[in-house]
Amino acid sequence: MATHFRRSAALLLLLILPHVLVGPVLASGGPDGLGGAEEEFSEELLLKPLPDRKVLAHFHFQSTALPSTINGRHHRLFPKAIAQLVEKFQIKELELSFTQGRWNYENWGGSDPMSSTNAKPPGVELWTLFDLPTTEVDATWKNLTHTLSGLFCASINFLESSTAYCAPHWGFHPNSDNLRYGALPREAVCTENLTPWLKLLPCRDKAGLASLLDRPSIYKGYYHSQRLRIVSAKLTGIVLEQTLTVVLQPNVRRNNPVSSTAGSLQPNWSMSSVFKKKITGQCVLAKVSRVFLELEENLVAELEKRVSRDSRSNPLFELSAVPDREIKELNALQDQSGSILYEFNVANSNEYEPLDVGMMWKVPLVWSCPHAPFHVSRFLMGSGNERGSLAISLQSTQSHEQFLGGSHACTVEVVAFQVVPWYVKVYYHTLQIFIDGKLQTASDVIEKLQVTPSEDKLLPGTLELMLRFPCSMHSGTLTLDFDKGFLHIDEYPPDANQGFDIPSALVSFPGFQSSRSYHEDDSLKDSPLLLKFQEKNVMRSYTEVLLVPLTTPDFSMPYNVITFTCTVLALYFGSLLNVLRRRIGEEERELKSKGLQRENINLMACGCRGKENEKTAL
Amino acid sequence: MVDFEVRRPQLERRNPAAFRRMLILLLFFSLLLSVPVPVRCSSSSTMHNNNWAVLVCTSRFWFNYRHMANTLSLYRTVKRLGIPDERIILMLADDMACNARNNYPAQVFNNENHQLNLYGDNVEVDYRGYEVTVENFLRVLTGRHESAVPRSKRLLSDEGSHILLYMTGHGGDEFLKFQDSEELQSHDLADAVKQMKEKHRFKELLIMVDTCQAATLFSQLQSPGVLAIGSSMKGENSYSHHLDSDVGVSVVDRFTFYTLAFFEKLNMYSNASLNSLFNSYNPSLLMSTAYYRMDLYQRPLTEVPVTNFFGSVMKTIHADSAYTGFSAEPKIEVPYVLEDSEADRMMLEREAEDKIYSQNKKNLRLSKIHMHLMLIAEFLTITRVSHFLSAKYAEENPYRRNRNPAIAGPS
Repeated sequence: MATHFRRSAALLLLLILPHVLVGPVLASGGPDGLGGAEEEFSEELLLKPLPDRKVLAHFHFQSTALPSTINGRHHRLFPKAIAQLVEKFQIKELELSFTQGRWNYENWGGSDPMSSTNAKPPGVELWTLFDLPTTEVDATWKNLTHTLSGLFCASINFLESSTAYCAPHWGFHPNSDNLRYGALPREAVCTENLTPWLKLLPCRDKAGLASLLDRPSIYKGYYHSQRLRIVSAKLTGIVLEQTLTVVLQPNVRRNNPVSSTAGSLQPNWSMSSVFKKKITGQCVLAKVSRVFLELEENLVAELEKRVSRDSRSNPLFELSAVPDREIKELNALQDQSGSILYEFNVANSNEYEPLDVGMMWKVPLVWSCPHAPFHVSRFLMGSGNERGSLAISLQSTQSHEQFLGGSHACTVEVVAFQVVPWYVKVYYHTLQIFIDGKLQTASDVIEKLQVTPSEDKLLPGTLELMLRFPCSMHSGTLTLDFDKGFLHIDEYPPDANQGFDIPSALVSFPGFQSSRSYHEDDSLKDSPLLLKFQEKNVMRSYTEVLLVPLTTPDFSMPYNVITFTCTVLALYFGSLLNVLRRRIGEEERELKSKGLQRENINLMACGCRGKENEKTAL
Repeated sequence: MVDFEVRRPQLERRNPAAFRRMLILLLFFSLLLSVPVPVRCSSSSTMHNNNWAVLVCTSRFWFNYRHMANTLSLYRTVKRLGIPDERIILMLADDMACNARNNYPAQVFNNENHQLNLYGDNVEVDYRGYEVTVENFLRVLTGRHESAVPRSKRLLSDEGSHILLYMTGHGGDEFLKFQDSEELQSHDLADAVKQMKEKHRFKELLIMVDTCQAATLFSQLQSPGVLAIGSSMKGENSYSHHLDSDVGVSVVDRFTFYTLAFFEKLNMYSNASLNSLFNSYNPSLLMSTAYYRMDLYQRPLTEVPVTNFFGSVMKTIHADSAYTGFSAEPKIEVPYVLEDSEADRMMLEREAEDKIYSQNKKNLRLSKIHMHLMLIAEFLTITRVSHFLSAKYAEENPYRRNRNPAIAGPS
């Protein structure tokens, strides 16, 4: 019996073995055969003239890695540093941005995908969603900040202290179970941060679109924001999205003779004038390499007003290169014109025929950019070093009427998210809400409220607030009172006199979505930038960073105190001793003897030498 | 020992023979103590096989632009001479390149001719802004970091490392200011260096400081293998070289300017010695007297090329055959100096000679000790006290006896 069983087991094994051996080979071969399941890299650049005579350049690089179950730890294009980071810290989603300058929501747009996903607060902002049990999240966050600081040459490790980061509930991100958020508003952003970021690209800045990045030209701009976003999932692998958004001023004097006709011409610009470089070919490892030139919907509307539809030539401006394709936005409202994208394929360019996209204006044009429903700003009130109050103000731009059709009973939802460092002690019960200058009862306006009060030297204060304003509102203001705390002498930074920064608040409008829609087309599907534009994202705007002057001790004070105290003590004890020890009788006798001496001297001077006189002199 | 000195006359009076015995024993023990500890020898015989540089700018604020320019110039020089970025720890206390006051964004110049942008496309700053503190500086030197600190922020040197430590900022008598709010004192520096030596974190260390009264910062150093150069003597100031009217501030200090002038003539194969660097400083041009502390350094300076500190030597592994995947390969570690240049080979040979020389010296010293011991033994047999040594050593130990007044004191 036993032998029979053994034999049949061996037979079974023989039957199963080929399956075991061949199975994985088939499985690993399967996705490769599909074509889509390979590591991919794409590079895209979007250029856009802005109404205030500036030019926006938005670089978008995207790399994708397969899930580690397929290829293990081997990567062809995907940066290994990022793959290891994701694996080690179990990151589900991460966004890190380095920004210098402030996005101008009024002139550069407030409702398009560019402003709601790529406009970032000044300094460093980091948020991460972990795929970990809640108890391990804080320790992992700490290690992550150190690793990122080593990777990107920045002091991100200052975010490790519990006073520097927070765990928002719903105000920042819809699903934020294991989310941590931290911001360093004063972090400097410079070349040393860009260099490691570029090293994550397969071609670095040696070829392709990244070769345009001439450091002095980029950092001369009004705004630059360098962003890194990682989205990882067990099934789809890792997607790494690297964007760089810069707002630059084209050189006006050289290119633009000021026309005498009404208004001045927009400045002419091209890649070579803005970046001082041209594109001489794509990064050969990139699957997609494209340049887009976008004309905003209001600019397109201006164009359509002036140009008759049948004429083919454009009397307003000239493009310095011939676009390969023209993509029109589908607008939800039929009577309005949508934005236009001109597409240029980088693959056609080479060293002898470089690509140099640019615009030459023929007619002066004025247009405005689309706005968010409210323009948000934040400021400080009060004076002195003891207390003050914080105000967030919302000014209606009247653009929500176009979103909502302008019915009178409508309301607008606004979510505010604000982190305040512990030394600014906010009294949350003092929250007051004004609509058009009139004080409102809080319960009428507030939909939802989440407050995490600050703890001294332990936790920052976090305020998450959902408000509902009537559409007819012109201006709304929130105010909060605070006291200024005292720091320990060791906690003051070396330049404490400059003041302390309160990180930007984030105001989002859940009822409004920024997205573009284009004709469904196969070629659009392989463009990560346009796919990103089609995503439905909530409209958001960041406020300014606030500078709060705190009571700073005069650090030379201890010395002053010591010297003053010593002087007072010396004076006191000196005079006390003087009073106690002084013997007036003795002094008089002394004086007398001195008088005698003087007489003796006089006598000596006279030449009289007596024995007795000598004795007294001694 | 004080006790011993005091009680000697009494002892002598009581027992002259015992005193003589004790004296001999004392001589014997002092000889024993003079024998060098063998562990120290092994560390000094390790070959120079890697290079590190720690470059520190300690000054904050825009008007201290020149200090950052100094540090970046040195950074560029050591990179040009072959030290890779991962072996350079660069600490900059402020951001000058992208400072709002900088008319030339992302650029830093050390000369008003603006020929050279020190802040090129490949700067890797390891510690910057508020991170540049005395604490972090000492942590880098001694290697005592939190476990989370990444490798790029650590000085991972070993007993075969030559380290260049360059510091610049505002200083004074025995201190260097950090960020205008903290001070590094000469004792702190000396302690850190001593700790590094004990942890075998360097073979040789060159400290170069450009600050006022820089020489005073070295006064407490006592670890062997350390060479120190300061820009000025006690009581002297170190001055800036020139003002750039476009940038609006002074762009370089005199000492660093002339150091760079020396290095600009060199490439990584140059054989210029440290002595020639020291001789290149002209006090009338520096407007201060450059100071060198050489008493802790063993090798003659005329024979040490500057590239020993400012250039790089890499440990490479020679394989017998091409890389063969995962099969085990013999690992033969041979220190290999950059390229097959003549100068570097000479340097290697010289180092080998040094090694032999030190070995010989050690042998010589050991044989001398042996001879001394023989002599003592002979002397002991003559005076017939050898039996005493073996039998009564425990009771008659001079140290114990004299430290304990209960035994030694007259009753």
